[in-house]
Amino acid sequence: MARLNPTDLPRRSPLYRTLVEAGASFAPVGDGAIAEAFGKEDSAAARTLGLADLSPLPRAGWKGRGALAWLAEGGVTGLDTDNRAVPQANGLLALRLAPTEAVLLVSFDGDTAALDGIAAGWSIDTAGLCFPVPRMESSFRFAVTGEQGAAMFAKLCAVDLRPRAFPDLAIAQTSVARMNAVVCRRDRGGVLGYEILGEWASAEYLWACLLDAMQEFGGRPVGRAALAALETSG
Amino acid sequence: MSADRIMERLPPRPGEWLDRDREIAFAFEGRCHNGFAGDTIASALAADGVSLLSRSFKYRRPRGALTMAGQDANTLVQLPGEPNTLADMRGIEPGMAAFGQNYDGSLEADRGRWVEWLGRFMPVGFYYKAFYKPFGAWRRWEPFIRRKAGLGVIDTEALHAYHDKAYGFCDVAVIGGGPAGLAAAAQAAEAGAEVLLIEEGARLGGSLTYARFDPEGARASREAEALIGAVEGADRIEVMTEAVCNGWFADHFLPVIRGNRLYKIRAKQVVVATGSMEQPIVFRGNDTPGVMMGSAAQRLIRRHAVRPGRRAVVATANGDGYGVALDLIDSEVAVLAVLDLREDPPACPRSDALRARGVPVLAGHTPWEAWAGPDHRLAGLQVAGITGQGTARPGERILCDLLCVSVGYTPAAHIACHAGAMLRYDPALGMLALAECPDGIHPAGSAAGAFDLDAAIAQGRLAGWNAARTAGFEGAAEPPAPGDLGAEQVSHPWPIFPHPKGKDFVDFDEDLQVKDIRNAVAEGYEDIELLKRFSTAGMGPSQGRHTAANLARLAAEAAGRDLAEMGATTVRPPYTAESFGILAGRGFEPERRSAMHHRHIEADAQMMLAGLWQRPAFYGSERDREECIEAEAMAVRTGVGLIDVSTLGGLEIRGPDAAEFLNRMYTFAYAKQAVGRARYVLMCGPSGAVIDDGVACRFHDNHFYVTATTGGVEGVYRQMLWFNAQWRLDVDVTNVTAAYAGVNIAGPSSRAVLAPLCPDLDLSAEAFPYMGVRVGTVAGIPARLLRVGFVGELGYEIHVPASYGEALWDALMDAGEAAGILPFGVEAQRLLRLEKGHIIIGQDTDGETTPQEADMVWALARKKPFYVGERALRIQAARPLKRKLIGFAMASPRDAAPAESHLVIRDGTITGRVTSAAFSPILGKVIGLAYVAPAQAEPGTRFTIRSHGGRMALAEVVSLPHYDPDNARQEG
Repeated sequence: MARLNPTDLPRRSPLYRTLVEAGASFAPVGDGAIAEAFGKEDSAAARTLGLADLSPLPRAGWKGRGALAWLAEGGVTGLDTDNRAVPQANGLLALRLAPTEAVLLVSFDGDTAALDGIAAGWSIDTAGLCFPVPRMESSFRFAVTGEQGAAMFAKLCAVDLRPRAFPDLAIAQTSVARMNAVVCRRDRGGVLGYEILGEWASAEYLWACLLDAMQEFGGRPVGRAALAALETSG
Repeated sequence: MSADRIMERLPPRPGEWLDRDREIAFAFEGRCHNGFAGDTIASALAADGVSLLSRSFKYRRPRGALTMAGQDANTLVQLPGEPNTLADMRGIEPGMAAFGQNYDGSLEADRGRWVEWLGRFMPVGFYYKAFYKPFGAWRRWEPFIRRKAGLGVIDTEALHAYHDKAYGFCDVAVIGGGPAGLAAAAQAAEAGAEVLLIEEGARLGGSLTYARFDPEGARASREAEALIGAVEGADRIEVMTEAVCNGWFADHFLPVIRGNRLYKIRAKQVVVATGSMEQPIVFRGNDTPGVMMGSAAQRLIRRHAVRPGRRAVVATANGDGYGVALDLIDSEVAVLAVLDLREDPPACPRSDALRARGVPVLAGHTPWEAWAGPDHRLAGLQVAGITGQGTARPGERILCDLLCVSVGYTPAAHIACHAGAMLRYDPALGMLALAECPDGIHPAGSAAGAFDLDAAIAQGRLAGWNAARTAGFEGAAEPPAPGDLGAEQVSHPWPIFPHPKGKDFVDFDEDLQVKDIRNAVAEGYEDIELLKRFSTAGMGPSQGRHTAANLARLAAEAAGRDLAEMGATTVRPPYTAESFGILAGRGFEPERRSAMHHRHIEADAQMMLAGLWQRPAFYGSERDREECIEAEAMAVRTGVGLIDVSTLGGLEIRGPDAAEFLNRMYTFAYAKQAVGRARYVLMCGPSGAVIDDGVACRFHDNHFYVTATTGGVEGVYRQMLWFNAQWRLDVDVTNVTAAYAGVNIAGPSSRAVLAPLCPDLDLSAEAFPYMGVRVGTVAGIPARLLRVGFVGELGYEIHVPASYGEALWDALMDAGEAAGILPFGVEAQRLLRLEKGHIIIGQDTDGETTPQEADMVWALARKKPFYVGERALRIQAARPLKRKLIGFAMASPRDAAPAESHLVIRDGTITGRVTSAAFSPILGKVIGLAYVAPAQAEPGTRFTIRSHGGRMALAEVVSLPHYDPDNARQEG
């Protein structure tokens, strides 16, 4: 089967050139391509320190005074606390950023059915004070995985992200390498992990900063497959 | 290695810091030396019989190791690319090349040493009184002083090393890994606290790694094994060695330097167990290499297996000095005498053991004068019997090569002082002592006055327990309080013996003698802070570590003041020198790139910064800049061009009050704007000054998509949120700037190029008129299309989700290839908009420009009850204008166009300035925008611009726009 090139598809991660150079193999997700794997070291790196670009996976946000109520009507539950993420039964991960804002992330399989269903229910005429935020385009999505994750973040972020201070599914809206970012702890298969959302236009910059910070711990890029394997192993 | 040098390396001993399997060769002053891994530069040189390390700042006096603990400036040496390295702390490395500092020619035969003979012409504070008279003298003196002053040499070609920073958190930070610190750390961890133990040395242990607390010399290693074992076995203790806590800041913020990394530590509580610094005796020649602290000799012996000399005298005023003497004897150093400054020294186990070895002890005696041999090393001492405070009767001479001094201590309590504690002179103890420690700081060990080892350990345990309890860990039982701290009879109250011939140094760094301090006080500088600044005592690299106590004593005596009132000068961070690299760290400079960034690079774009965004200025080489820009502009005028406008701000304004919100934020009227139409937006501040502009596109009754300038969008967004926090309109504002990639395809052929890519849209002038907006697809990509006319040609601004931006760019470039499409950059766009007379906010406007001045009154709605800035504009409209922004043209050739900010001059007075100017290839002349006086603003008026080189150039006011005055090209 011919190797998928990200430029075969119209929707492109800002990092695709960097990922190609690093030896990634790609898989289609919607009308884009995701870095699936880099090599056989991926699974070990995912446990010590790895960095994955999940930007091609769909995500969406809603904000406004009525946003959380509207999402609740659409079946998104448990968004009771600011700066907490709540896994949903349909596989989505819901992040409550504020009493008036939430983000939904699709899981690794890229199945957008649940997300599409929620989005299809929105209309400017009927949703009241609830408005979509184009998180798929405004934000990149990275995953940091591995036991050295907190030590790596200590070089980039002033918030204490160590497990004892930052529980699983906690969210910090903070600064990473001097740029605004949303950091969510997301362990997989018992392995320490984090997701980062930041401005799309600075994705290349932050990717380079993260890889630089990872060097001392032997960190490297990993593909979606390694993260998915962690999740199923847990 | 010279055959004359004596090797002073001792056989292997337990607890030494050396790895004798790793021999390391290095150079000092161009000569090869060998040491072992674990040696410092100073210890390896001492092992090789080298004691001269550097020369002093003012008098160029030979200097050698004083403390072997990085507490003095005598050991500052020069490494390639790195001056002022502490030789007694820096480990040797293979191939290292070190040099002394402050000499001309050679360290041993410094050509500048004659300056010492000029000492009488350099009294204390002389630099405040000399060098500036007569008038103009400073210009002659400055170059000379610059050459002679300073420590070390900066290598301006040195490569920047990698530095970075890291954050850290703990419940209890313990600073100092000696007996008290180890006990504190273990106790705090036992209570449940997370502990960070910070130790400056290469290993834990502190004084346990060099001092002799008992006659046998066995107790230190026994205690070290137990205490270090407890720390290493504890779960909740992180240990950082070779790490310096360099200060204390609010809320227990601690900068810790380790290697090339600065750790920013936040602790809940801090234990300060930083020990104390042994203090010198002031006597003639007390700075001679070979005169060192007793603890320095012990560090050399126990840590580095170096015999510090062959024939030694020990001067002491406490039991520690006797421990030093015993260590010297055990290292086969002949101890010729012990001088005990105390008239009637009390017996103690160590002194008893020393006397039992037959070493003569001269009670009530002090060193009086030291002299050096031809190798600058100590060659002998004259001792004196003490007759009173600061007086002695000179006596016998002793030939020796080593004098060890143990006459007292000053707490190394800098961190506690940074937090607000004070160092005050305690007459009962005869030394400076810590007082007024603030909450959250827990001193322990000799820093807190506990000199007895048991007391130091007990005090450490109690401090650790207190710190943990205050941090919220209350489980553990309170440890017992320490007994007698052993602080009395540790420090001699007056180790100062001025000599009639001087050279009795109070401050080694600044070469200050007793007479200098007395003269400064005599000049009126009695206050310790003023005395410091006038004399420079305590201002050198060691920052008064060995000066403070004697300075206080001498100042009190000279001023006739109570010594108990004297303290030390204010202690401030940093504790040690910090390089700029440490402070700078890695440096993070965020950057924003559009989705098409790499296509621009591939097309040889010259990139420029617009805020954090990278934008193409033009495409081509820098040397062809003007030609490239003109070609791009002409492509837009005659064919089709494509520009990346992704950086322009984008804001979604949604909700039932969206139109009302825009009505209030902007000057124009939006309530009746039709869906599918765009309208110009002009934002003013409350003062009426123009802030930003763009267009508002209405996609629904309750939905506007508003554009803003690249540099202004963040401020516009903040203004919107701020105002609506007060108005509380039912509207949501979302900044979607980075969510959309945008292009402007412009030129007479733009419609023809675009149409095939938009099967679902009718792009004709009738179906999609000027200032219309549509939603559809371009090359299958969902898009918003705007017909706006910034560059003055038929054109379409296309906004797509950012991740499709590159695909969009490729599709348009392919579609336009046959039409000769060219990408154009910011510079061509600036020229094109200038031809249309469109202003650029921030270039053609300043912080005070009003719409009236910028000829934009047409954008002010007359019937709205309110918009931001309305009241100010109404008031200003009633006043005469002071300036007016106009268009101008010049008959100058293309290379004589004035530049921005060139002044408009009338009758010798400034009446305005140029804001934009360029040669227009399509018009064949220089055009621009400028502020002029209102009287000069009529079209046809001629005015003068002071252009390049002061040349006066003539310009004429013209009506705007310069090009296509009927706007037929952009509205077709």
